[in-house]
Amino acid sequence: MPYRLEIALNQDLIDAEGEGIRRKAFDYFGLKLSCVRTINALTIDADLTADQLKTIQKEIFTNPVTQTSSYNSLLIDFDWIIWVGFRPGVKDNPGSTAVEAVEDILGIKFNPGEAIYTSKRYCLQGKGLTAEDVDKIAGELLANNIIQRCKIYSKRNWDNKIGTGIIIPKVRLDHKPVVMPIPIDTDETLKRISDERNLALNPNDIPTIRAYFFDSKVQAERALVGLAEPTDVELEYISQARSDHCNHNTFQGLFHYQDLSTGYAEVEDNIFETCIKQPTLSLKEKKPWVVSVLWDNAGAGQFDDEHYYVITGETHNSPSNMEAYGGAITGIVGVYRDPMGTGKGAKLIMGGYGYCVGLRDYNGDLIPHLHPRRLLDGVIEGVRDGGNKSGIPTTFGQLIFHHGYMGKSLVFVTAVGIMPSQIKGEPAQQKTTSPGDLVIMCGGRVGKDGIHGVTASSEVFSESTPAGHVQIGDPYTQKKMHDFILEARDQGLIRFITDNGGGGLSSSVGESARFSNGCEIQLEKVPLKYKGLDQWEIWISESQERMTLAIRQEDLDCFLTLSKKHAVESTVIGKYTDSGKLHITHNGKTCAYINLDLLSAGFPQWEFDAHWQEPGQRGLFEPVIREPRDYEVLLTDILSRPNICSREWISRQYDHEVQGTSVIKPLVGAGRDVNSDASVIRPVLDSEKGLAFAQALLPTYSKIDAYHMTSCTIDEAVRRLIAVGADLDAIGGVDNFCWPNIQYHPEDNPDGRFKAAQLVRSCRALRDICLEYGIPLLSGKDSMYVDGYLAGRYGETHKVSALETIQFSTISVIDDINKCITMDSKIPGDLVYILGETGNELGGSEYYEHYGYVGLNVPQVHARQFARLYRALGSAIEKELVASAHGIYRGGLGVHLTMVAIGGDLGMKVDLALVPACAPHADRASILSNRIDTILFSESAGRFIVTINPENRKIFEDIFKGLPCSCIGVITDKSGDLIISDSKSKKKNKTIISIPVKDLKSAWKKPFGDLI
Amino acid sequence: MKMVNALVLAGYGLNCDNETAYALELAGASASRVHINSLIDGSVTLDNFQIMVFVGGFSWGDDHGAGVIQAVRLKTNIGDKILEFVDKGNLVLGICNGFQTLVNMGLLPGFKGNYKTRSIALTFNDCGNFRDDWVMLKVNPLSPCVFTKGFDTLELPVRHGERSEVRGQRSEVRFDKIELPIRHGEGKFYSDKDIIQRLTKNNQVVIQYAMPDGNPAEGKFPFNPNGSINDIAGICDPTGRIFGLMPHPEAFNHWTNHPDWTRDKEKIKRRGGAINTGATAGIRMFQNGVDFICSR
Repeated sequence: MPYRLEIALNQDLIDAEGEGIRRKAFDYFGLKLSCVRTINALTIDADLTADQLKTIQKEIFTNPVTQTSSYNSLLIDFDWIIWVGFRPGVKDNPGSTAVEAVEDILGIKFNPGEAIYTSKRYCLQGKGLTAEDVDKIAGELLANNIIQRCKIYSKRNWDNKIGTGIIIPKVRLDHKPVVMPIPIDTDETLKRISDERNLALNPNDIPTIRAYFFDSKVQAERALVGLAEPTDVELEYISQARSDHCNHNTFQGLFHYQDLSTGYAEVEDNIFETCIKQPTLSLKEKKPWVVSVLWDNAGAGQFDDEHYYVITGETHNSPSNMEAYGGAITGIVGVYRDPMGTGKGAKLIMGGYGYCVGLRDYNGDLIPHLHPRRLLDGVIEGVRDGGNKSGIPTTFGQLIFHHGYMGKSLVFVTAVGIMPSQIKGEPAQQKTTSPGDLVIMCGGRVGKDGIHGVTASSEVFSESTPAGHVQIGDPYTQKKMHDFILEARDQGLIRFITDNGGGGLSSSVGESARFSNGCEIQLEKVPLKYKGLDQWEIWISESQERMTLAIRQEDLDCFLTLSKKHAVESTVIGKYTDSGKLHITHNGKTCAYINLDLLSAGFPQWEFDAHWQEPGQRGLFEPVIREPRDYEVLLTDILSRPNICSREWISRQYDHEVQGTSVIKPLVGAGRDVNSDASVIRPVLDSEKGLAFAQALLPTYSKIDAYHMTSCTIDEAVRRLIAVGADLDAIGGVDNFCWPNIQYHPEDNPDGRFKAAQLVRSCRALRDICLEYGIPLLSGKDSMYVDGYLAGRYGETHKVSALETIQFSTISVIDDINKCITMDSKIPGDLVYILGETGNELGGSEYYEHYGYVGLNVPQVHARQFARLYRALGSAIEKELVASAHGIYRGGLGVHLTMVAIGGDLGMKVDLALVPACAPHADRASILSNRIDTILFSESAGRFIVTINPENRKIFEDIFKGLPCSCIGVITDKSGDLIISDSKSKKKNKTIISIPVKDLKSAWKKPFGDLI
Repeated sequence: MKMVNALVLAGYGLNCDNETAYALELAGASASRVHINSLIDGSVTLDNFQIMVFVGGFSWGDDHGAGVIQAVRLKTNIGDKILEFVDKGNLVLGICNGFQTLVNMGLLPGFKGNYKTRSIALTFNDCGNFRDDWVMLKVNPLSPCVFTKGFDTLELPVRHGERSEVRGQRSEVRFDKIELPIRHGEGKFYSDKDIIQRLTKNNQVVIQYAMPDGNPAEGKFPFNPNGSINDIAGICDPTGRIFGLMPHPEAFNHWTNHPDWTRDKEKIKRRGGAINTGATAGIRMFQNGVDFICSR
């Protein structure tokens, strides 16, 4: 018999969760609630005695100091009640830990099918609250109908004796699993099947797939194992493996690139090969610290003689758009499995995030599934819980608002790990499977969740996207698995390890079996969350928190004992062979038998037309703006722009110091509230070496040219590391592309060819800049369909495409962390220098955006020239001559001088006439280059603001001989003013700006300063 | 000097075991990370240890109240052994999730040797969210707490902010207050008035959240980051041998952990001073524990 236990905080305690809801209801909808109280409910679907119920109520679920509880409905004042519970099959993490605790204290084991489910009941009070208001709160604040259901009660229809009743979200599948043979007599049939089953097969692949199954040798072999037509397991497997997500068909495609302005045409064959692989391999030759790239779940670089660091980045866009919290937590927890599955396994040491969302206060006519504000809240919380509960510091992150992300928001997650260079005398970065090794699935169980996640993210988001791929990551289960894997690794038990992410077992087992060249899997051995899953579902389910490992038969006992100690489930599901076949059986009957080399051979290359036009010819031009008079208000307003202002509230809710390794935190300065250029950690506690990490996103420049968007993004990420003291020669990179659909279609994607050209240009920039800076790409991923269809006001829908976006991450070993520096000004009297040249490069700038313009003169990166400057700065920092260094990024000099001043809580006095200007470009209107607004807001790349002890002036300037470096002013007193003047001005008053630094700080903090 | 063995709990979502073990080693102890299950199944016993540390993390995901399930599991399975360990005059330290576990087990406040009653809660922060920040802590010089002994006259190498300049000293300053990071969502110290009074009267209140100048935070956010009653950040039992605190001393194991280190370094350099990179305030806490065992 099921029971429902309700638990609430005592009335005299602040209900922080309830308060949060009350505040949001007002902030989001203007609804005034006087009080919200939260009741946690546990629905216990298990046979327990009255004594047992009492024990668990008292000992586990009720805090005697702060809580009240009852197996009846608690009586708490309300005008309305909203109950929210999970839908069947949605991961209920607290429900699972409740079972663990109950089993432990009672010394019992739950029977199969018995469970505990959590739900919440909110008691709302507010004058004049209508049913409509409560509906809004329920639907747009508390519950997401994709994963949750809710019930609303008014005072009139609530009966406290009945309460919410007992609702058990148990999965019941009255279904006998069966393997279906699927006839594919014609290409059209297979195309139809692909559409019906949501396989998302590319039409070009269909003849190749059919040819395989009709090959006489293949047919003869299949007959021996009792197969004729392809089974559903096989077609689903091929669909997963051929998806763009897993296979990067786009990057390996054939691009017919044409410059429409000149008529010049060329073919780019496989931009992955030419722009990513070849440059990285050539750099690997020159840089012995590059340990492992281009094949594993993450790339590896050398940290010191005994350690390698590993890094990778991912996106988790589609699921986060459906269910922000669940998608984001699944994303961060998922990317953490990549380092765990790199080499023989790495320990996680650091994480990063990047969010690109619609405007937070959007109030236009389009109706996204989740309002950007709610989506952002959910994403922030998802990454918070995923990172914090994994015990991994989240040390760096970014947030960008732009309308284009209304169609699909982007959630970038980055993971860094570390491993010993040797494990029991073997290189840790290597791994392989051998015939006879056992296939182990470890961690969570398999359910229906996540089915067709991969294919869904390879498609444009529409109203019919199946919600089945939305999951809720479980960092607790994964943390246990992480600790277990590290111990197993150190005992030398792991021969091969990889994670179960996109494509589930089909992908992890399929890929690991290529090493031994075959495997036999017994699907009935795979532990399931509930009965009734079809075989193909078991094979491709993306249920989270699972790793696939290969271990030797003789190590099995040892491995399982260790697994038990860590309370992690590990199961042998088959063995590796050298048969050349992927052979899957279910209770002895073959349900898949496929040549492993099918996927590596014979599929046609995807083809794209890519049409480029120079920005000027696309109608872009420099806006005509006469110079502003009030620079003080202008600067203050720009500091308050959503893409410039403080985001302290996000960093503060992320644990960025766990593991005790923090050196440079995400927030620095006298007030500990200004963003640092990069973060630095000391991952090996007894070493003085560090790892610096930063990321950059500059999607706005794509409006002009994705080539320069990409170059500037890479340059910013590099400069961020240089600013804290990294050495240019030790920097590695990670590229994460998020691109709208590039396949031209006259009605659905009329500008597809342009977006394809932008992709080609972006990749060329990646190649050019990385080669010039010498940055090997340690890892990278692409997400190719960042478009969405949004309903409008009249029942119409609009396709909204995101800007062409690349997130670039940089990482570097720091030889001596004690020499790292931060961006905040340090001491009154210090000299302020500008390094690098400021040009007339306002195209795509924050300044133009402030007026609603795009412009034309997008910033350009002159990498070879910049590199000399970066090396010089590196040398000055190494000699400990620099008190602070800060790159000049989005918003330009005006914004970043302000940041340095706020950081130090000190005044600053500078003369803009001394800022090094770059020679005007031949094709540009040079007349603007002396203008104050250009100098203050141009976003030219390659620049820094540096402060130094005046005593070091000569030796500092000597280092920069022949390079653009100019002293423009001085740091002044505590809590002073930022004074910006122009000594060349013809006006009597040379002062342009004079504002107390504290006022600039409050302007910068104003928009989100109240958020916690 | 005799060997001091410290046991650091690990597993089930705990996540500060590595750096806590490192901090103990820096303090001169020999530290072992031990999985909760190894202690429960008897493959490791408490007999060989003199210091037991309940570390930070999210045991059992913090579901159903932070530290609650860990407390239930330990109490049910080895509660008597832990009491025996305490009876022998050994030390118990609970940090963050470990502090939450100690109050849920009843090891704190431990009035009159009663180590089984739950009378204190560490509940949700008033601010409604998880928070990572450094806080100023005022140390109670009258407390019997072993771990903070002598902190009122302690000389700490890393200066904290501007204060040392005011005092005109070079690189070292005397403290009755220290800075440490907090990182929690459920750190609000809560109990009824009687208990709070009794804790205060017994000097069991060891550390309190303070303003940068050392005055009591008086509940003011973010100095008191969670709304703790009387700004309480850490308490000990009447013997001073069991200590629980929300801040993380193990996360201040190197001078570069401190948020102001780059600022302090520059200032010291200008005065021609040398940077003392010796034991931090966090490590001093662990050293106190080790010294206590050595000298008993």
